[in-house]
Amino acid sequence: MLKKLLKYEWKDTYRLLLPINLAIILITLIGCIILNTSIFNSDTGFLLAAPLLILYVLSIITFSCTTLVYIYVRFYKNLYTAEGYLMHTLPVTPTQLFHSKLIVGYFWFFLNSLLTTLSISALSAALGIHEAATSVSGDRQDSLLDSFLLDVGQSPEAFSFADLFGYPLPVFVLLLFAMLLISSFSSVVMGYMSVLLGQRMERNKLAASVAFYFGIYMVIQIITSLSIIIPEIANTGKYMGEELPANFLAESFRLLFPSLIISYLVLNIIFYVVCRLLLKGKVNLD
Amino acid sequence: MTLLECKDLTKKYGRHTALNNVSLQIDGEHIVGLLGPNGSGKTTLIKLIAGLLSPTAGSVQVLGEPIGPSSKSAISYLPDHTYLNGTMRVQEIIDFFADFYEDFDSLRAYDMMAKLQINPRQKLKTLSKGTQEKVQLILVMSRHAHLYILDEPLAGVDPAARDYILDTILSNYDEDASILISTHIISDIENILDEVIFIKDGSLHTHALVDELREKDHKSIDTIFREVFKC
Repeated sequence: MLKKLLKYEWKDTYRLLLPINLAIILITLIGCIILNTSIFNSDTGFLLAAPLLILYVLSIITFSCTTLVYIYVRFYKNLYTAEGYLMHTLPVTPTQLFHSKLIVGYFWFFLNSLLTTLSISALSAALGIHEAATSVSGDRQDSLLDSFLLDVGQSPEAFSFADLFGYPLPVFVLLLFAMLLISSFSSVVMGYMSVLLGQRMERNKLAASVAFYFGIYMVIQIITSLSIIIPEIANTGKYMGEELPANFLAESFRLLFPSLIISYLVLNIIFYVVCRLLLKGKVNLD
Repeated sequence: MTLLECKDLTKKYGRHTALNNVSLQIDGEHIVGLLGPNGSGKTTLIKLIAGLLSPTAGSVQVLGEPIGPSSKSAISYLPDHTYLNGTMRVQEIIDFFADFYEDFDSLRAYDMMAKLQINPRQKLKTLSKGTQEKVQLILVMSRHAHLYILDEPLAGVDPAARDYILDTILSNYDEDASILISTHIISDIENILDEVIFIKDGSLHTHALVDELREKDHKSIDTIFREVFKC
Protein backbone atom coordinates (compact mmCIF):
# COMPACT_ATOMS: atom_id res chain seq x y z
CA MET A 1 0.00 0.00 0.00
CA LEU A 2 2.92 2.38 0.66
CA LYS A 3 3.91 2.09 -3.02
CA LYS A 4 0.41 3.14 -4.08
CA LEU A 5 0.40 6.04 -1.65
CA LEU A 6 3.80 7.14 -2.98
CA LYS A 7 2.51 6.95 -6.56
CA TYR A 8 -0.40 9.30 -5.84
CA GLU A 9 1.69 11.58 -3.67
CA TRP A 10 4.18 11.93 -6.52
CA LYS A 11 1.42 12.53 -9.08
CA ASP A 12 -0.14 15.25 -6.96
CA THR A 13 3.10 17.08 -6.13
CA TYR A 14 5.10 17.05 -9.34
CA ARG A 15 2.69 19.39 -11.16
CA LEU A 16 3.92 22.36 -9.11
CA LEU A 17 7.30 21.24 -7.83
CA LEU A 18 8.81 20.00 -11.09
CA PRO A 19 8.34 23.40 -12.85
CA ILE A 20 9.85 25.16 -9.82
CA ASN A 21 12.99 23.03 -10.02
CA LEU A 22 13.20 23.42 -13.79
CA ALA A 23 12.96 27.19 -13.27
CA ILE A 24 16.02 27.07 -10.97
CA ILE A 25 17.99 25.26 -13.69
CA LEU A 26 16.78 27.77 -16.30
CA ILE A 27 17.74 30.90 -14.35
CA THR A 28 21.13 29.34 -13.55
CA LEU A 29 21.83 28.70 -17.25
CA ILE A 30 20.73 32.23 -18.15
CA GLY A 31 22.91 33.60 -15.33
CA CYS A 32 25.95 31.64 -16.49
CA ILE A 33 25.47 32.86 -20.08
CA ILE A 34 25.12 36.49 -18.94
CA LEU A 35 28.21 36.23 -16.70
CA ASN A 36 30.28 34.90 -19.61
CA THR A 37 29.55 37.99 -21.70
CA SER A 38 31.22 41.37 -21.22
CA ILE A 39 27.91 43.00 -20.39
CA PHE A 40 29.07 44.06 -16.91
CA ASN A 41 32.44 45.44 -18.06
CA SER A 42 30.99 48.70 -19.27
CA ASP A 43 30.32 51.71 -16.99
CA THR A 44 26.59 51.05 -17.01
CA GLY A 45 27.12 47.33 -16.34
CA PHE A 46 26.87 47.73 -12.57
CA LEU A 47 23.48 49.43 -12.92
CA LEU A 48 22.27 46.29 -14.70
CA ALA A 49 24.09 43.79 -12.45
CA ALA A 50 22.56 44.95 -9.16
CA PRO A 51 18.87 44.48 -10.12
CA LEU A 52 19.67 41.17 -11.84
CA LEU A 53 21.42 39.92 -8.72
CA ILE A 54 18.50 41.01 -6.53
CA LEU A 55 16.06 39.32 -8.92
CA TYR A 56 18.10 36.11 -8.82
CA VAL A 57 18.32 36.05 -5.02
CA LEU A 58 14.59 36.79 -4.64
CA SER A 59 13.72 34.06 -7.16
CA ILE A 60 15.85 31.46 -5.39
CA ILE A 61 14.36 32.37 -2.00
CA THR A 62 10.81 32.31 -3.42
CA PHE A 63 11.32 28.90 -5.05
CA SER A 64 12.73 27.44 -1.86
CA CYS A 65 10.01 28.90 0.40
CA THR A 66 7.23 27.90 -2.01
CA THR A 67 8.51 24.32 -2.09
CA LEU A 68 8.67 24.03 1.68
CA VAL A 69 5.33 25.76 2.35
CA TYR A 70 3.62 23.67 -0.35
CA ILE A 71 4.95 20.45 1.24
CA TYR A 72 3.64 21.53 4.68
CA VAL A 73 0.27 22.73 3.36
CA ARG A 74 -0.22 19.54 1.36
CA PHE A 75 0.50 17.41 4.44
CA TYR A 76 -2.06 19.38 6.45
CA LYS A 77 -4.71 19.69 3.72
CA ASN A 78 -4.51 16.12 2.47
CA LEU A 79 -4.63 14.53 5.93
CA TYR A 80 -6.44 16.94 8.23
CA THR A 81 -9.09 18.79 6.22
CA ALA A 82 -11.98 17.42 4.08
CA GLU A 83 -9.54 15.36 1.99
CA GLY A 84 -8.50 13.61 5.20
CA TYR A 85 -11.91 11.89 5.22
CA LEU A 86 -10.75 9.97 2.16
CA MET A 87 -7.14 9.42 3.19
CA HIS A 88 -7.96 8.23 6.72
CA THR A 89 -10.62 5.79 5.49
CA LEU A 90 -8.24 4.06 3.06
CA PRO A 91 -7.15 0.59 4.19
CA VAL A 92 -3.69 1.82 5.21
CA THR A 93 -2.01 2.59 8.52
CA PRO A 94 -1.38 6.17 9.73
CA THR A 95 2.35 5.36 9.58
CA GLN A 96 2.10 4.48 5.87
CA LEU A 97 0.29 7.76 5.23
CA PHE A 98 3.01 9.65 7.10
CA HIS A 99 5.87 7.87 5.34
CA SER A 100 4.40 8.51 1.89
CA LYS A 101 4.26 12.24 2.63
CA LEU A 102 7.70 12.24 4.27
CA ILE A 103 9.49 10.39 1.45
CA VAL A 104 8.01 12.49 -1.37
CA GLY A 105 8.24 15.80 0.55
CA TYR A 106 11.85 15.04 1.49
CA PHE A 107 12.75 14.16 -2.09
CA TRP A 108 11.37 17.45 -3.41
CA PHE A 109 12.93 19.67 -0.75
CA PHE A 110 16.29 17.93 -1.01
CA LEU A 111 16.22 18.36 -4.80
CA ASN A 112 15.34 22.02 -4.35
CA SER A 113 18.17 22.55 -1.83
CA LEU A 114 20.65 20.69 -4.05
CA LEU A 115 19.73 22.69 -7.15
CA THR A 116 19.88 25.94 -5.20
CA THR A 117 23.38 25.11 -3.95
CA LEU A 118 24.51 24.02 -7.42
CA SER A 119 23.03 27.19 -8.90
CA ILE A 120 24.93 29.47 -6.51
CA SER A 121 28.14 27.45 -7.06
CA ALA A 122 27.75 27.53 -10.85
CA LEU A 123 27.20 31.29 -10.91
CA SER A 124 30.15 31.89 -8.56
CA ALA A 125 32.36 29.68 -10.73
CA ALA A 126 31.16 31.39 -13.92
CA LEU A 127 31.95 34.80 -12.41
CA GLY A 128 35.43 33.66 -11.27
CA ILE A 129 36.28 32.01 -14.60
CA HIS A 130 35.16 35.11 -16.51
CA GLU A 131 37.23 37.36 -14.22
CA ALA A 132 40.29 35.13 -14.68
CA ALA A 133 39.81 35.02 -18.44
CA THR A 134 39.68 38.79 -18.69
CA SER A 135 42.48 39.69 -16.25
CA VAL A 136 44.99 36.81 -16.28
CA SER A 137 46.98 35.41 -19.21
CA GLY A 138 46.17 31.94 -20.60
CA ASP A 139 49.00 29.87 -19.05
CA ARG A 140 48.68 31.45 -15.67
CA GLN A 141 44.92 30.80 -15.72
CA ASP A 142 45.53 27.04 -15.92
CA SER A 143 48.22 27.14 -13.26
CA LEU A 144 46.04 29.18 -10.86
CA LEU A 145 43.03 26.93 -11.45
CA ASP A 146 45.08 23.76 -10.82
CA SER A 147 46.53 25.33 -7.74
CA PHE A 148 43.11 26.38 -6.40
CA LEU A 149 41.03 23.33 -7.17
CA LEU A 150 43.50 20.46 -7.11
CA ASP A 151 46.13 21.87 -4.78
CA VAL A 152 48.91 20.98 -7.30
CA GLY A 153 51.54 23.09 -8.97
CA GLN A 154 51.40 25.55 -6.09
CA SER A 155 51.44 29.18 -7.05
CA PRO A 156 53.03 30.84 -4.02
CA GLU A 157 50.74 33.88 -4.25
CA ALA A 158 47.53 31.86 -4.55
CA PHE A 159 45.49 30.02 -1.91
CA SER A 160 44.35 26.51 -2.66
CA PHE A 161 40.74 25.44 -2.04
CA ALA A 162 41.84 23.44 1.02
CA ASP A 163 43.70 26.50 2.41
CA LEU A 164 40.47 28.47 2.34
CA PHE A 165 37.79 25.90 3.12
CA GLY A 166 39.60 23.37 5.27
CA TYR A 167 39.05 20.38 3.01
CA PRO A 168 40.14 19.40 -0.52
CA LEU A 169 37.37 20.12 -3.03
CA PRO A 170 36.01 16.52 -3.34
CA VAL A 171 35.77 16.13 0.45
CA PHE A 172 34.15 19.54 0.79
CA VAL A 173 31.55 18.65 -1.87
CA LEU A 174 30.84 15.35 -0.15
CA LEU A 175 30.36 17.05 3.22
CA LEU A 176 28.15 19.72 1.69
CA PHE A 177 26.04 17.00 0.07
CA ALA A 178 25.72 15.18 3.42
CA MET A 179 24.77 18.47 5.07
CA LEU A 180 22.04 19.09 2.48
CA LEU A 181 20.70 15.54 2.88
CA ILE A 182 20.44 15.89 6.63
CA SER A 183 19.18 19.48 6.88
CA SER A 184 16.50 18.96 4.18
CA PHE A 185 15.09 16.05 6.14
CA SER A 186 15.10 18.18 9.24
CA SER A 187 13.15 21.00 7.52
CA VAL A 188 10.44 18.68 6.23
CA VAL A 189 9.97 16.53 9.31
CA MET A 190 9.89 19.62 11.55
CA GLY A 191 6.89 20.99 9.63
CA TYR A 192 5.08 17.66 9.79
CA MET A 193 5.76 17.40 13.51
CA SER A 194 4.27 20.90 14.01
CA VAL A 195 1.10 19.87 12.14
CA LEU A 196 0.83 16.67 14.19
CA LEU A 197 1.31 18.62 17.44
CA GLY A 198 -1.36 21.12 16.33
CA GLN A 199 -3.78 18.23 15.78
CA ARG A 200 -3.50 17.35 19.47
CA MET A 201 -5.16 20.63 20.42
CA GLU A 202 -8.91 20.74 21.10
CA ARG A 203 -9.47 23.74 18.83
CA ASN A 204 -7.58 26.24 16.60
CA LYS A 205 -5.48 23.35 15.34
CA LEU A 206 -4.03 25.19 12.35
CA ALA A 207 -3.02 28.25 14.39
CA ALA A 208 -1.49 25.93 16.99
CA SER A 209 0.51 24.16 14.25
CA VAL A 210 1.92 27.49 13.02
CA ALA A 211 2.79 28.52 16.59
CA PHE A 212 4.50 25.15 17.21
CA TYR A 213 6.46 25.56 13.97
CA PHE A 214 7.88 28.96 14.84
CA GLY A 215 8.57 27.88 18.43
CA ILE A 216 10.49 24.79 17.30
CA TYR A 217 12.24 26.81 14.56
CA MET A 218 13.57 29.25 17.14
CA VAL A 219 14.80 26.43 19.39
CA ILE A 220 16.59 24.83 16.42
CA GLN A 221 18.22 28.11 15.48
CA ILE A 222 19.55 28.43 19.02
CA ILE A 223 20.84 24.84 19.07
CA THR A 224 22.54 25.05 15.65
CA SER A 225 23.99 28.47 16.44
CA LEU A 226 25.45 27.10 19.67
CA SER A 227 26.83 24.08 17.83
CA ILE A 228 28.65 26.50 15.53
CA ILE A 229 29.68 29.13 18.07
CA ILE A 230 30.99 26.91 20.91
CA PRO A 231 33.68 25.06 18.87
CA GLU A 232 34.64 28.35 17.18
CA ILE A 233 35.08 30.12 20.52
CA ALA A 234 37.18 27.20 21.78
CA ASN A 235 39.31 27.38 18.63
CA THR A 236 39.76 31.16 18.83
CA GLY A 237 40.69 30.82 22.51
CA LYS A 238 43.79 28.85 21.54
CA TYR A 239 45.21 31.96 19.90
CA MET A 240 44.40 34.36 22.75
CA GLY A 241 46.89 37.24 22.61
CA GLU A 242 48.47 35.94 19.42
CA GLU A 243 47.96 36.81 15.80
CA LEU A 244 45.48 34.49 14.09
CA PRO A 245 47.25 32.02 11.77
CA ALA A 246 46.69 32.12 7.98
CA ASN A 247 44.75 28.84 8.07
CA PHE A 248 42.31 30.05 10.75
CA LEU A 249 39.38 30.14 8.30
CA ALA A 250 40.16 26.60 7.14
CA GLU A 251 40.26 25.44 10.77
CA SER A 252 36.85 27.03 11.32
CA PHE A 253 35.37 25.13 8.40
CA ARG A 254 36.89 21.91 9.70
CA LEU A 255 35.00 22.45 12.98
CA LEU A 256 31.80 23.71 11.38
CA PHE A 257 30.78 20.71 9.28
CA PRO A 258 31.08 17.94 11.89
CA SER A 259 29.30 19.94 14.59
CA LEU A 260 26.45 20.96 12.25
CA ILE A 261 26.03 17.46 10.85
CA ILE A 262 25.92 15.91 14.33
CA SER A 263 23.43 18.54 15.61
CA TYR A 264 21.07 18.02 12.66
CA LEU A 265 21.36 14.23 12.90
CA VAL A 266 20.35 14.32 16.57
CA LEU A 267 17.47 16.72 15.78
CA ASN A 268 16.28 14.51 12.93
CA ILE A 269 16.15 11.45 15.16
CA ILE A 270 14.24 13.39 17.83
CA PHE A 271 11.74 14.85 15.32
CA TYR A 272 11.11 11.50 13.65
CA VAL A 273 10.59 9.67 16.95
CA VAL A 274 8.19 12.42 18.15
CA CYS A 275 6.22 12.14 14.88
CA ARG A 276 5.93 8.36 15.25
CA LEU A 277 4.74 8.78 18.84
CA LEU A 278 2.18 11.41 17.79
CA LEU A 279 0.91 9.10 15.03
CA LYS A 280 0.26 6.41 17.63
CA GLY A 281 -2.15 8.84 19.27
CA LYS A 282 -5.70 9.51 18.22
CA VAL A 283 -7.03 10.70 14.88
CA ASN A 284 -9.68 13.35 15.44
CA LEU A 285 -10.90 14.98 12.25
CA ASP A 286 -13.27 17.90 12.80
CA MET B 1 -19.98 -13.16 13.02
CA THR B 2 -21.30 -9.79 14.12
CA LEU B 3 -20.66 -7.16 11.46
CA LEU B 4 -20.43 -4.15 13.73
CA GLU B 5 -20.19 -3.98 17.49
CA CYS B 6 -19.91 -0.80 19.55
CA LYS B 7 -19.28 -1.25 23.27
CA ASP B 8 -19.83 1.57 25.79
CA LEU B 9 -18.77 4.09 23.17
CA THR B 10 -18.21 7.60 24.51
CA LYS B 11 -16.82 10.67 22.79
CA LYS B 12 -16.14 13.90 24.64
CA TYR B 13 -14.89 17.24 23.33
CA GLY B 14 -13.55 18.96 26.41
CA ARG B 15 -16.52 19.10 28.78
CA HIS B 16 -19.09 18.45 26.04
CA THR B 17 -20.20 14.85 25.65
CA ALA B 18 -21.09 14.21 22.00
CA LEU B 19 -21.75 10.50 22.45
CA ASN B 20 -22.49 8.84 25.75
CA ASN B 21 -21.97 5.17 26.49
CA VAL B 22 -23.49 3.80 23.28
CA SER B 23 -23.55 0.03 22.83
CA LEU B 24 -25.05 -1.58 19.76
CA GLN B 25 -24.64 -4.46 17.38
CA ILE B 26 -25.43 -4.73 13.66
CA ASP B 27 -25.49 -7.98 11.71
CA GLY B 28 -25.27 -8.59 7.98
CA GLU B 29 -28.03 -8.14 5.40
CA HIS B 30 -29.76 -5.29 7.20
CA ILE B 31 -30.59 -1.74 6.21
CA VAL B 32 -30.34 0.27 9.37
CA GLY B 33 -31.58 3.84 9.77
CA LEU B 34 -29.55 5.95 12.16
CA LEU B 35 -32.10 8.57 13.09
CA GLY B 36 -31.93 11.68 15.19
CA PRO B 37 -32.17 15.44 14.89
CA ASN B 38 -29.18 17.61 14.00
CA GLY B 39 -26.54 17.57 16.73
CA SER B 40 -27.81 14.36 18.32
CA GLY B 41 -24.50 12.51 17.76
CA LYS B 42 -25.19 10.58 14.53
CA THR B 43 -22.15 11.89 12.67
CA THR B 44 -19.94 11.41 15.73
CA LEU B 45 -20.99 7.76 15.94
CA ILE B 46 -20.38 7.28 12.22
CA LYS B 47 -16.95 8.94 12.35
CA LEU B 48 -15.97 6.71 15.26
CA ILE B 49 -16.93 3.63 13.24
CA ALA B 50 -15.12 4.94 10.13
CA GLY B 51 -11.96 5.60 12.15
CA LEU B 52 -11.99 9.38 11.73
CA LEU B 53 -12.42 9.96 15.45
CA SER B 54 -10.95 8.12 18.39
CA PRO B 55 -13.28 7.26 21.28
CA THR B 56 -12.78 8.79 24.69
CA ALA B 57 -13.95 5.44 26.08
CA GLY B 58 -15.33 2.19 24.74
CA SER B 59 -14.53 0.28 21.57
CA VAL B 60 -15.67 -0.43 18.03
CA GLN B 61 -15.17 -3.72 16.21
CA VAL B 62 -15.93 -4.51 12.58
CA LEU B 63 -16.07 -8.23 11.75
CA GLY B 64 -14.35 -8.85 15.07
CA GLU B 65 -11.41 -6.55 14.31
CA PRO B 66 -10.66 -3.18 15.93
CA ILE B 67 -10.65 -0.08 13.72
CA GLY B 68 -7.69 -0.27 11.34
CA PRO B 69 -6.83 -1.17 7.75
CA SER B 70 -8.93 -4.37 7.82
CA SER B 71 -12.07 -2.60 9.16
CA LYS B 72 -11.55 0.16 6.59
CA SER B 73 -11.43 -2.30 3.72
CA ALA B 74 -14.77 -3.72 4.94
CA ILE B 75 -16.51 -0.33 5.20
CA SER B 76 -17.58 1.91 2.33
CA TYR B 77 -18.14 5.35 3.82
CA LEU B 78 -19.89 8.41 2.43
CA PRO B 79 -19.34 11.57 4.50
CA ASP B 80 -21.92 14.35 4.78
CA HIS B 81 -19.80 16.76 2.68
CA THR B 82 -17.60 16.73 -0.40
CA TYR B 83 -14.24 15.21 0.44
CA LEU B 84 -12.49 14.51 -2.84
CA ASN B 85 -9.64 16.53 -4.31
CA GLY B 86 -11.38 18.88 -6.75
CA THR B 87 -8.36 19.10 -9.04
CA MET B 88 -8.59 15.38 -9.90
CA ARG B 89 -10.45 14.18 -12.98
CA VAL B 90 -13.34 11.77 -12.45
CA GLN B 91 -11.39 8.94 -14.10
CA GLU B 92 -8.38 9.63 -11.87
CA ILE B 93 -10.60 9.31 -8.81
CA ILE B 94 -12.02 6.03 -10.14
CA ASP B 95 -8.44 4.76 -10.65
CA PHE B 96 -7.59 5.89 -7.12
CA PHE B 97 -10.49 3.92 -5.61
CA ALA B 98 -9.68 0.88 -7.79
CA ASP B 99 -6.05 1.00 -6.61
CA PHE B 100 -6.83 1.10 -2.92
CA TYR B 101 -10.03 -0.94 -2.60
CA GLU B 102 -9.83 -4.50 -3.88
CA ASP B 103 -13.63 -4.69 -3.87
CA PHE B 104 -14.07 -1.64 -6.13
CA ASP B 105 -15.92 -2.28 -9.39
CA SER B 106 -14.65 0.25 -11.98
CA LEU B 107 -17.05 -0.95 -14.67
CA ARG B 108 -20.02 -0.33 -12.41
CA ALA B 109 -18.69 3.14 -11.60
CA TYR B 110 -18.19 4.06 -15.29
CA ASP B 111 -21.63 2.68 -16.12
CA MET B 112 -23.32 4.83 -13.48
CA MET B 113 -21.31 7.89 -14.55
CA ALA B 114 -22.38 7.32 -18.16
CA LYS B 115 -26.05 7.13 -17.13
CA LEU B 116 -25.67 10.55 -15.52
CA GLN B 117 -23.76 11.81 -18.58
CA ILE B 118 -20.71 12.67 -16.48
CA ASN B 119 -17.61 12.94 -18.63
CA PRO B 120 -14.82 10.96 -16.87
CA ARG B 121 -12.26 13.44 -18.20
CA GLN B 122 -13.87 16.34 -16.38
CA LYS B 123 -12.23 17.73 -13.28
CA LEU B 124 -14.35 17.31 -10.18
CA LYS B 125 -14.31 21.02 -9.35
CA THR B 126 -15.91 21.85 -12.71
CA LEU B 127 -19.00 19.80 -11.81
CA SER B 128 -21.95 21.26 -9.90
CA LYS B 129 -22.16 20.54 -6.17
CA GLY B 130 -25.07 18.16 -6.75
CA THR B 131 -23.15 16.23 -9.42
CA GLN B 132 -20.06 16.07 -7.20
CA GLU B 133 -22.20 14.50 -4.49
CA LYS B 134 -23.56 11.99 -6.99
CA VAL B 135 -19.99 11.12 -8.07
CA GLN B 136 -19.11 10.46 -4.42
CA LEU B 137 -22.19 8.28 -3.98
CA ILE B 138 -21.36 6.33 -7.15
CA LEU B 139 -17.81 5.71 -5.93
CA VAL B 140 -19.00 4.51 -2.53
CA MET B 141 -21.72 2.27 -4.00
CA SER B 142 -19.32 0.81 -6.60
CA ARG B 143 -17.60 -1.15 -3.86
CA HIS B 144 -18.60 -4.66 -2.80
CA ALA B 145 -18.23 -3.76 0.86
CA HIS B 146 -19.54 -5.52 3.96
CA LEU B 147 -20.92 -2.35 5.47
CA TYR B 148 -21.97 0.84 3.70
CA ILE B 149 -22.09 3.86 6.00
CA LEU B 150 -23.91 6.79 4.45
CA ASP B 151 -23.98 10.02 6.43
CA GLU B 152 -26.98 12.19 5.50
CA PRO B 153 -27.02 11.28 1.79
CA LEU B 154 -30.48 12.86 1.42
CA ALA B 155 -29.82 16.17 3.14
CA GLY B 156 -30.29 19.31 1.07
CA VAL B 157 -31.25 17.60 -2.19
CA ASP B 158 -34.41 18.01 -4.28
CA PRO B 159 -37.00 15.18 -4.43
CA ALA B 160 -35.83 14.02 -7.88
CA ALA B 161 -32.23 13.74 -6.70
CA ARG B 162 -33.47 12.00 -3.56
CA ASP B 163 -35.12 9.34 -5.72
CA TYR B 164 -31.92 8.92 -7.72
CA ILE B 165 -29.84 8.54 -4.55
CA LEU B 166 -32.18 5.97 -2.98
CA ASP B 167 -32.39 4.05 -6.24
CA THR B 168 -28.57 4.05 -6.57
CA ILE B 169 -28.17 2.78 -3.03
CA LEU B 170 -30.78 0.04 -3.30
CA SER B 171 -29.78 -1.22 -6.72
CA ASN B 172 -26.05 -1.38 -6.02
CA TYR B 173 -25.42 -2.67 -2.52
CA ASP B 174 -24.58 -6.32 -2.12
CA GLU B 175 -27.42 -8.40 -0.73
CA ASP B 176 -25.28 -9.90 2.03
CA ALA B 177 -23.96 -6.50 3.09
CA SER B 178 -25.55 -4.03 5.51
CA ILE B 179 -26.23 -0.34 5.16
CA LEU B 180 -26.12 2.16 8.00
CA ILE B 181 -27.81 5.31 6.75
CA SER B 182 -28.12 8.42 8.87
CA THR B 183 -30.86 10.93 8.22
CA HIS B 184 -33.49 13.08 9.79
CA ILE B 185 -35.75 12.79 6.72
CA ILE B 186 -37.60 9.63 7.70
CA SER B 187 -40.58 9.49 5.34
CA ASP B 188 -38.45 8.87 2.24
CA ILE B 189 -36.54 5.91 3.63
CA GLU B 190 -38.97 4.38 6.09
CA ASN B 191 -40.10 1.70 3.68
CA ILE B 192 -36.60 0.40 2.97
CA LEU B 193 -35.40 0.12 6.56
CA ASP B 194 -35.09 -3.16 8.45
CA GLU B 195 -33.88 -1.62 11.71
CA VAL B 196 -33.81 1.82 13.27
CA ILE B 197 -31.50 3.38 15.81
CA PHE B 198 -32.68 6.57 17.51
CA ILE B 199 -29.91 8.73 18.92
CA LYS B 200 -31.01 11.42 21.35
CA ASP B 201 -28.63 13.88 23.00
CA GLY B 202 -25.69 11.59 22.35
CA SER B 203 -27.33 8.52 23.90
CA LEU B 204 -28.94 5.47 22.36
CA HIS B 205 -32.70 5.91 22.74
CA THR B 206 -34.06 3.02 20.68
CA HIS B 207 -32.59 0.19 18.64
CA ALA B 208 -35.27 -2.07 17.22
CA LEU B 209 -36.54 -3.85 14.14
CA VAL B 210 -38.84 -1.60 12.13
CA ASP B 211 -41.67 -4.15 11.92
CA GLU B 212 -41.59 -4.80 15.66
CA LEU B 213 -41.66 -1.10 16.43
CA ARG B 214 -44.57 -0.46 14.07
CA GLU B 215 -46.56 -3.39 15.47
CA LYS B 216 -45.87 -2.41 19.07
CA ASP B 217 -46.85 1.26 18.71
CA HIS B 218 -49.22 0.92 15.72
CA LYS B 219 -47.57 4.00 14.26
CA SER B 220 -45.22 4.74 11.40
CA ILE B 221 -41.52 5.27 12.15
CA ASP B 222 -41.93 8.87 11.01
CA THR B 223 -44.66 9.43 13.63
CA ILE B 224 -42.64 7.71 16.36
CA PHE B 225 -39.60 9.83 15.41
CA ARG B 226 -41.65 13.03 15.66
CA GLU B 227 -42.96 12.03 19.08
CA VAL B 228 -39.56 11.03 20.44
CA PHE B 229 -37.81 14.16 19.19
CA LYS B 230 -40.64 16.64 19.77
CA CYS B 231 -39.20 20.05 20.68
